[in-house]
Amino acid sequence: MAAVLGLIIGVVVGLFVRPDIPVFLQPYLPIMVIAALDALLGAARAYFERSFSDRVFVISFLSNVVTATLLVLLGNQLGVGSQLTTAVIVVLGIRIFSNVSAIRRYIFQG
Amino acid sequence: MGDEQMERDPAEDERGIRGIHDDAARDGGSAVNDVEGEPEPLTAEHPRVSGQDDGQSDLLKRILSQHSRDKANDRTKTGAFPVVRKRKPKALSSNARSLKARFGTGVLIAVLCALLAYAYVIQINNKDTAYETLTETELTRLISETSTQVERLEQRRSELTNQLKSLEEAADKEAQAQRIAQENEETSGILSGRLPAQGKGVVIRISRPQKAPIDAATMFNLIEELRNGGAEVIQIDNVRVVTSTYVSETNSGLVCDGQTLTTPYVIKAIGDPANLANAVNIAGGVGSRLTVKYGANVTVETSDDVRITATQPVMKYKYATIVE
Repeated sequence: MAAVLGLIIGVVVGLFVRPDIPVFLQPYLPIMVIAALDALLGAARAYFERSFSDRVFVISFLSNVVTATLLVLLGNQLGVGSQLTTAVIVVLGIRIFSNVSAIRRYIFQG
Repeated sequence: MGDEQMERDPAEDERGIRGIHDDAARDGGSAVNDVEGEPEPLTAEHPRVSGQDDGQSDLLKRILSQHSRDKANDRTKTGAFPVVRKRKPKALSSNARSLKARFGTGVLIAVLCALLAYAYVIQINNKDTAYETLTETELTRLISETSTQVERLEQRRSELTNQLKSLEEAADKEAQAQRIAQENEETSGILSGRLPAQGKGVVIRISRPQKAPIDAATMFNLIEELRNGGAEVIQIDNVRVVTSTYVSETNSGLVCDGQTLTTPYVIKAIGDPANLANAVNIAGGVGSRLTVKYGANVTVETSDDVRITATQPVMKYKYATIVE
């Protein structure tokens, strides 16, 4: 409930408030979004598995975002930023797919 | 969520461990019971102690039993550590959690989701491509693409410029052609008698002849003399003289292009006034002949502004066509 409300609020605010993204944040924002999306889908899966814990969700959300960002930052510093970005996105994408398939199994029972 | 999964799995493991531990605890308990219920091993271990007084033996017995109990409790053979049961207190605390805390986490979740959606929308609306995120190869490709496009556009521009130039030339040519056509129209209009004309020239008046009516040949001769004298435009009475103009005699007098001429004949000609006057007045010329033979009075007036207003309709060529 709170999550859906938050999503709606975020979209509305994003539609009306258009700040300039700081330059140092520009390469990381997409990764952050993907990581947060993964956390959100994981939370949805946990919700369907009746093991949802808001504490775990908040922690996993933040840790996902921070980890992804730090990984990409590390990659940028080592000169393999784009490759590491791709790696992070691939991993997160796989996780998102598995989460979605789990959710689907819970919704359609099979 | 993987984390959730990860959390669940340890829980199962924990349960398994607990089961083992429970068994171990039971074993331990039974061991203690054995120790307490059957003092035989103790007596076997310390045969002389049981032979002394009861108070001492009681104390010793108690110490020994305590010792053996401790030993049993300290047994670590099963490899299991005493487990602090977290599950139950945790469930209790979550049940008893205050409304305030629950509200707080709900708000936190909402804020996080709002942040996610906000970042997503911003990223979507971020139109300008961040060149910082592009790799070197991508940038190179972008540059080459851009330069190719620039080249193509330049080529297109030069093409269009050429087209514009040729069109301008064509327009110039057309304007020139139009100018020439206009000039042609004017000159040919004057020549064919289609347009009125004015300029320097002479006005010749021939009064009624006294001796005999003027014949057509003489009149035509006059016209020819004027032409020789460089007359550009000639008019007899109200008839414009063109290439097809004829003069004939009828009973009522001279007829020029179907129009009867009446005396005094007024002939206007545009050209060099002196030449034209000479052409008429030359000794033995048309002028003297008219005076001498027909007894007519011929006056030649030079004028700077001879207006010839008579026109001829344009001749339609029926047989003649232009040679291609």
